[in-house]
Amino acid sequence: MRKSFSALFPTAGLVLIAAGTAGFAQFQSGSYGSTNTNSLKQTVPPQLSQDGNFSVAPFPSLAPELAEGEGEVQTQSFCAACHSTRYITMQPPLPAAAWDAEVNKMIKTFGAPIPDATAKRIISYLQQHYTPENRKQ
Amino acid sequence: MEQWRRNLSRRDALKLLSAAGGLAIGGWSQAGAILAQQLRVSQEIEPFSGPGPNPHWNSVGPYVSEPQKAPLILLTDRPVQLETPRSYFQSTFTPNDAFYVRWHLPEIPNRVDLAEWRLKIEGNVNKPQTLSLSDLMEKFKPASVAAVSQCSGNSRSRFQPRVPGGQWGNGAMGNALWTGVWLRELLDAAGVKQGSVQVQFQGLETGPGPTGSGSNVFLKSLELSDLALDGAVVAYLMNGEPLPMLNGFPVRLVVPGYFATYWMKCLTWIRVLSTPDESFWMKTGYRVPDTPRGNTTPEEMKAGGVKTVPISRMPVRSFLISPDGSSKIPAGMHVTLRGMAFSGYGKIVKVEISEDAAKTWRAAQLGEDHGAYSFRTWEAPWTPKVPGSYTVAVRATDEKGKVQPDEPVWNPGGYLWNKLEKQEILVGTASGGESR
Repeated sequence: MRKSFSALFPTAGLVLIAAGTAGFAQFQSGSYGSTNTNSLKQTVPPQLSQDGNFSVAPFPSLAPELAEGEGEVQTQSFCAACHSTRYITMQPPLPAAAWDAEVNKMIKTFGAPIPDATAKRIISYLQQHYTPENRKQ
Repeated sequence: MEQWRRNLSRRDALKLLSAAGGLAIGGWSQAGAILAQQLRVSQEIEPFSGPGPNPHWNSVGPYVSEPQKAPLILLTDRPVQLETPRSYFQSTFTPNDAFYVRWHLPEIPNRVDLAEWRLKIEGNVNKPQTLSLSDLMEKFKPASVAAVSQCSGNSRSRFQPRVPGGQWGNGAMGNALWTGVWLRELLDAAGVKQGSVQVQFQGLETGPGPTGSGSNVFLKSLELSDLALDGAVVAYLMNGEPLPMLNGFPVRLVVPGYFATYWMKCLTWIRVLSTPDESFWMKTGYRVPDTPRGNTTPEEMKAGGVKTVPISRMPVRSFLISPDGSSKIPAGMHVTLRGMAFSGYGKIVKVEISEDAAKTWRAAQLGEDHGAYSFRTWEAPWTPKVPGSYTVAVRATDEKGKVQPDEPVWNPGGYLWNKLEKQEILVGTASGGESR
């Protein structure tokens, strides 16, 4: 009797470990992510006047980071004169010819005042960073 | 800290696993396998998609908090373009603060002074009108219509090959109860002269481009003979509330059945034309191939000669909104598939769902009818019995008999997408039983 108990003892120990393991396996809890992820700040309700003016706060500016490289400054200053450079970063990777066409559309159809040499640098920059072959960010 | 915590839990898991490793008792090795599963840390979506199709239901941008708006998905910040997250489409009417936003030009109003603001009806008319908001609310009988506003480029990020433009997922749409004045009543008040052909709409959005160019003003026109004008409303209420500034305060045009490009926001000029509108936004922008479904190919475009027409009515579409595939469903559980459908060609008459990737179909139950151009909700009970991956598909049929096809659309503008939707849904074991 005594002998058989001691023979069983190591197994009993393993069963205890196993019971603990099974307890963990049923669920897992208490995992929190790192701080300040996915948060958006709230804003104070606006001050309103009783006249005919209906207004909202300025729309937020959320300029993206453009890829670093030759032509970035020209792209930033000329494109952002009329629209957010998110119009660039939002696009899927586009073939080189599509970027050429886009910049030319801005100039010829929409009348963007971009000198020829600058336009070439902007096109070259977009083709260096935003095509299927080279887009990273 | 986070990395340390994760590493520790992985090491712990391995230690415990090796301790349990000597035991070859049934079921214990499975317990070890579950234990070894890492909780997946939430990963940010890549800020762009492609060159393949965007695999997500919505667009991939970050959430942003804009005035009068719930957090919405940002496409661009100047001008503002925001997409509505999928979960808002659980209801027939899209809340105003969640309603998508799409502007063309950067100078959009932050302030409108109603003491000064007037809606002008001018051009080829006998009695030009200048109406304040209170004139619109008091001098005309209010008219209400439930109608879907959908951007012409909704779902553009599905196109293959990809096309430039706003890379919308499926959330550039919304349904609201619009209340205002029938456009025809306003035109009648102004007295349209004989020989008029079109009516042009202009809002308060402008850009720094040269006068006369598409980057200076946004203009849209419709034929005066277009039956869509009979249902059009100049709306000052959206779901019973003033329009958010970003959705066109104080009034916007509502053209039930038509893509939202005609739904001029901050509508301020209604101009009757005696010659067709030749401006950029009619002659060059928002045109689709004059082919079935607006389809063409990059090759045909390159070869030239593809005849185009101004975009008009919205082809039939339907969506699965819940479950959205982001969580598993326990096998054997009774769940309800829910979603909505709409068509610019009239009432939705049938929604069908498939659990086997569009091979076999069964009818869903349609929800309340709020009018031919409203979202129509649908639901279907579903009890997936066996664990595994299910591809749930949904397709709708409208009163004209048009049904959503399983084939994509391609045109250079990225317009008219209405391929039937598919959603992978994972069903997990609820008992340790067999897998599919």
